[in-house]
Amino acid sequence: MRSPDTAAVHGAPFRPLLAKELRGALSGRALWTMLLILCPLVGYSFFQAVSLYGEASAAAKDQTQLASGLSPLDGVLVPTFGALYVAVTLLFPFVAIRTLGREKETGALRLLVQLPYRIPTLIAAKMTAICAAWLIAIAPALSAILIWLLLGGHLHAAETANLLLGHLLYGLLIGAIALFAAAISESSATAAIITLAFTVGSWVLDFALAGQPGVLEWLSRLSLTQTLRTFEQGLLSIGLLLGIVAAICGFAALAAIWLHPGVAVRTKAIRSITCVALVTVALALATQIRLSIDVTEDRRNSFPAADQRALAELRDPLVITVHLAPEDPRYVDLRRNVLSKLERVVPRVTVRLAGTGQSVVGSGSDEAYGEIEYAYGGRSTRSRSTSHREALPILYELARRPPPTPIAGEDYPGYPLVTSAQAALPWFFGALPLLIIIAWWWSRRPPRIPPRLIEEGGRP
Amino acid sequence: MTASTAIAFDPTAEAAASSMQVVGLSKRYGEQRALADISFDVRPGEVLGLIGPNGAGKTTLMETIAGILAADAGNVVWRGKPLSLADRRDVTFYLPDGLRPWDDQFVLQVVEFFAAVYARPEREVAAIVRCAGLAAVLGKRVSALSKGYGRRLMLVLALITPHPLLMMDEPFDGFDLRQTREIMNVLREVAAGGRTLLLAIHQLIDAERVCDRFVLLADGRLRGIGTLDELRARTGKPSARLEDMFLALT
Repeated sequence: MRSPDTAAVHGAPFRPLLAKELRGALSGRALWTMLLILCPLVGYSFFQAVSLYGEASAAAKDQTQLASGLSPLDGVLVPTFGALYVAVTLLFPFVAIRTLGREKETGALRLLVQLPYRIPTLIAAKMTAICAAWLIAIAPALSAILIWLLLGGHLHAAETANLLLGHLLYGLLIGAIALFAAAISESSATAAIITLAFTVGSWVLDFALAGQPGVLEWLSRLSLTQTLRTFEQGLLSIGLLLGIVAAICGFAALAAIWLHPGVAVRTKAIRSITCVALVTVALALATQIRLSIDVTEDRRNSFPAADQRALAELRDPLVITVHLAPEDPRYVDLRRNVLSKLERVVPRVTVRLAGTGQSVVGSGSDEAYGEIEYAYGGRSTRSRSTSHREALPILYELARRPPPTPIAGEDYPGYPLVTSAQAALPWFFGALPLLIIIAWWWSRRPPRIPPRLIEEGGRP
Repeated sequence: MTASTAIAFDPTAEAAASSMQVVGLSKRYGEQRALADISFDVRPGEVLGLIGPNGAGKTTLMETIAGILAADAGNVVWRGKPLSLADRRDVTFYLPDGLRPWDDQFVLQVVEFFAAVYARPEREVAAIVRCAGLAAVLGKRVSALSKGYGRRLMLVLALITPHPLLMMDEPFDGFDLRQTREIMNVLREVAAGGRTLLLAIHQLIDAERVCDRFVLLADGRLRGIGTLDELRARTGKPSARLEDMFLALT
């Protein structure tokens, strides 16, 4: 038998590796089972969302003010994709873990690490397969969007794409965590427990710590669900985007560090500490990036266009001192209605909480509690309002500028649609699952064997 | 490089002529010693048998040589140069025992994957498949293979790899007598083609038939190394079988 060319040991094409990973993702039951579970979940969420949207639309039929509050992003897209979020949180880890866990359990990993691929290349192939699996998993949600359009519903391209981007990043983050969990675990079951500790733990952070003051409030921001919330609000935050990408890369890098069984645990631990430190720095830098784009059609995250232009011209530092506890609902209102919008538009703005130890309980003795102090150009004034309708005139007065004239015709009209998704239920509960089963069966068919292999291979 | 390996490393012409030198490899699992200062050399184109009972440390030794298990001490030298962990996979390929790789995929897909990775043309792959007698099960899933065909698949993957040193753990386990002889012939042909084979075998009769030299292991320690004649001379038993010499040396 001829001795093969040993030069082939150095480097190998990416394509066969990627093809193997994609086959691996498709050949398992996890992805198909998740798809089958997603059909009724997404279908029922979509049906309910459209029903409620239809009822609200009927009430707003002849009232422009009510109609302007009807946005398909809030009314249909977010609740429909909410079902996808639940499935990605609870089921997608199993799909992602399988890309590595199965190889560890069967010992195939010991062959894989000997192939002429660098470890980061192996992880990149697995992350690509996870991304492909996510793209397949969103098929039911995408079909819901299509049905919404067929029903005559309106979609704004930018806010829809932004929401999809948020879900993609969330899916990849879960996938990267699952891959890391699979890399450090001996069994898929252990990896699943670790991943669910992250995902379900995020829910605990959400429920238990949200609205709490101090460190607890900071801890609650680490929840994975926070990553999605900004996208659901129609904001494309560059800092958040880079932060999530850094976290995905960080977990993928940790998976790469822990993948090779031949590296001593001490070495892996040292490399992990370095990796975590680098990601922490990247996350800290990402939080400093305040650039964000309001992609919503109704511009809910911005002031009216005329105010936006006027506020963008305020060049001096604007300092806002808030005498409210962070957990106070008035502070939440103020942040949503005024502060976050000002931070996005005014070039130099600083928001300070007057007392870090302030809390709603026990604030009765403090007469200043509830006040918001605005300081600009050496002048300052106080207010208790949390609405932009009162805050903006104060700012114009401090800046000695006249309030801008509203631009006519910029009001969001709203998109009421009196309809029902009853007819879509057979699709989600019958036709789509059937198509998925057929696709599953088709993916499992044996490959065509090249005649040459049969002719020359012969029977033993 | 540790002090012991630095002393044992022999960059002479004789050492450079050998394919590989294993120098002072040691490995512990907690309190249990798996390998204790193992040193030997592997010559180009030979079939070297790693002989020992279950638990002797054969698999641990192969995995540390391949770099998929971290050694506590020691080194591997290839043609006179120490091999880093990352470089091991450039010269050696290790086939573990009892593996069913990518068991949810079809045999053909696994074979084609390896062939594509190492850019082997279909003609050569067909010859390897014929040689190993795997054609009948190309359309089956790996999980559906019998133990014998599973071994044949591993053999095909090994033959597709281009590495000059091939390490196989229990390559004859699961084969009947006729099949074992077939596989032995294939391996002899591979060695004749210029590749070096390091085979871990616990069946001493099989080892005696196929190997040129033997490394005898017991309890993680090296008990002897050499050809049959060299071992006979060492034990003072001129007509002894490998089995007798192994018992005498361990």
